[in-house]
Amino acid sequence: MKIIDFNNSDAQIQALATLQQGGLVIYPTETVYGALVDATNKKAVQKLLNYKRRPTGKAISIACSNQKMAEEYVFLNEQARKIYSIFLPGTVPFITQKKKKTAPGLTNEKNTLGIRIPNHAFLLKLISDLGRPVTATSANSAGKKAPYSISDLLSHLSEKQKSQIDLIVDAGTLPKNPPSLVIDTTTSSPTIVRDNKNIQLEKTTAKVEKIWTDSDEETKKIADKILKQNFSQLEKTGLIIALDGPLGAGKTVFAQGLGESLQIKTNLTSPTYTYLKEYPYQLKKSTGVLYHLDVWTINEQNTFNLLEVEKLVRPNNLIVIEWFENIAQFFTPTSPLLKIKILPTKENIREITIIQL
Amino acid sequence: MTYILGIDTSCDETSAAVLSGYTILSNTISSQIELHKPYGGVFPTVAKLAHQENIQPVIATALKAAHLKIENLDAVAVTIGPGLAPALEIGIRAAKELAQKQQLPLIGINHLEGHLLSPLAQANSTSKQTFKFEFPVLGILVSGGHSQFIKMDQVGKYEIIGETLDDAAGECLDKIGRLLNLGYPAAPVIEQLAKTGDSQVFPFPLPLTTRYDYDLSFSGLKTYARNLIGKMDDKKLDRQTLANLAASSQAGVFRHLTYKLDKLLNYYQNSPAQTPFKTIFVGGGVAQNVCFRTLVRKVAAKYELPIHFPYNKRLCGDNAAMIALAALWHYQNHHFADIQALERQPNLNFKKS
Repeated sequence: MKIIDFNNSDAQIQALATLQQGGLVIYPTETVYGALVDATNKKAVQKLLNYKRRPTGKAISIACSNQKMAEEYVFLNEQARKIYSIFLPGTVPFITQKKKKTAPGLTNEKNTLGIRIPNHAFLLKLISDLGRPVTATSANSAGKKAPYSISDLLSHLSEKQKSQIDLIVDAGTLPKNPPSLVIDTTTSSPTIVRDNKNIQLEKTTAKVEKIWTDSDEETKKIADKILKQNFSQLEKTGLIIALDGPLGAGKTVFAQGLGESLQIKTNLTSPTYTYLKEYPYQLKKSTGVLYHLDVWTINEQNTFNLLEVEKLVRPNNLIVIEWFENIAQFFTPTSPLLKIKILPTKENIREITIIQL
Repeated sequence: MTYILGIDTSCDETSAAVLSGYTILSNTISSQIELHKPYGGVFPTVAKLAHQENIQPVIATALKAAHLKIENLDAVAVTIGPGLAPALEIGIRAAKELAQKQQLPLIGINHLEGHLLSPLAQANSTSKQTFKFEFPVLGILVSGGHSQFIKMDQVGKYEIIGETLDDAAGECLDKIGRLLNLGYPAAPVIEQLAKTGDSQVFPFPLPLTTRYDYDLSFSGLKTYARNLIGKMDDKKLDRQTLANLAASSQAGVFRHLTYKLDKLLNYYQNSPAQTPFKTIFVGGGVAQNVCFRTLVRKVAAKYELPIHFPYNKRLCGDNAAMIALAALWHYQNHHFADIQALERQPNLNFKKS
């Protein structure tokens, strides 16, 4: 097991050579230290699987240097293409239907493969020079702590595992960008497979969460929870909540939950025809207004401007906008925006996705 | 004769109207008619919420159609709420300017009161004042934005005895229509299609049967329709099925309304604790639906109550004539607003019992 400093001019060359020879390299990524092997090399992948001690059936993502390389290894459906263009290069791995070329052992039972195009210049160059994808799994043993430093990593490895490592490229302690989100693009609307901490989208950071509810009461409880989590922001600058989802998804129910959370006695009803209804509230020492908007019938900039939404954004004001996607292009919020998407799935179940920008 | 100019800019449409007592001399609505070019520059538009552009041409048109000069007016009435604040503002400002300039009393009116009293309006061709009726009146307000049962002890004294907890009836029909790709607003299209449809083909559930109040709920019917339509093969949606769906949806919405209406009347007409109603007034956009009128008339007949609807379609939707009409009683009782102080009240509603 050899250790070389990341800043050493030889580091890249050695890493490349090790990979080409089917070796396992511990290498810094934009999140944690990764365990890299040539994803097309059967023996190397086996080595990695032994090292990771991962339960079989769990997929291991691979990292490509660009979409072109990715396409050689997976089928990109329309869904995948769209999302790739938004999210990549980035830290978000995608699960896509696999073509043949990667070595066995990386895919799960559904034959899908996790793909990443990392947002890390040296790693990208490494992959590009290799000409083939590498595995993009974190260097820790399955279930163990995410490794931000080599000493941290080594302290959790067995001797046998250490013996599997051929080269460690040490870049010191990595900045705490938590391990990423995994998005499955094989389903018709992207599903988040692993719950997430933070993903990096160019310069913005988005936090994504998914919750399932099976009744109006539960949806309202979630609304209450979300409001409480963001209450200090509401007090400081005011808060905008975008509510999207098809007809009958439960957007107004969610809004009613927010109203109840603010202890507004009046029942919130649908503002489709009046565009905007306002409900003053008083909670502890905060006094403000809940503005409940519905822009279902609005599809023009001029009409949207007449609603004068910017004027409503003030500290303590909660602006809830149903059918936000209709006017997203017309509106640049000055306050933090919380996006809620509600999708009815089977029977009474609602899938609620919360995106905090 | 009392000539009142009414102005309404509470939502999408800009409207102005002139009434002589209960008689409508004109009822101008921005989206409904060809407007003249009284001023060279900005041409009025049918676009939603275009009150700034429309207000002056609409007022001018209303006066012209009524063959009345501004100087002959006795009062100006304007909707102060409920509605969209910046929209209401434009009507209020125009009304204030006019009232100030012409030294006329200004009256602020609740848009919902306008709907409630709209059956009292008379066409210009009739010679009578208005029909005689007795209080208390049960008001049924059903539109895209509202669904309420109101007890009116006298003009100016209103109490909500039941209202929707979520969507309004008209909204529910519009949204079901949207699910059927009938465009927007779809309720009139649904009414048309329903004429050739069989409402028994897709029976809708009856909401809120376990509650002892007279509140309404339409969002469940919307969800029911969504699930129903979602399960259908697109190819199966031929014209007849579409007509059946339209008829069934309407039947579902109207049955909920008449079911609650019947329960309400059963209580109020028979309870020793209540003064029984003497008349029913129906207002709002859904009041123009012939099928709805027939069903509600049946319930009224059961309780031997006279029932009145607005005399034309225009009076059912948002319009200024109903505002000027509601203002008549306020005028007679000198309920004039302070021109400086009159403010919009976007949240205005009747009080709940």
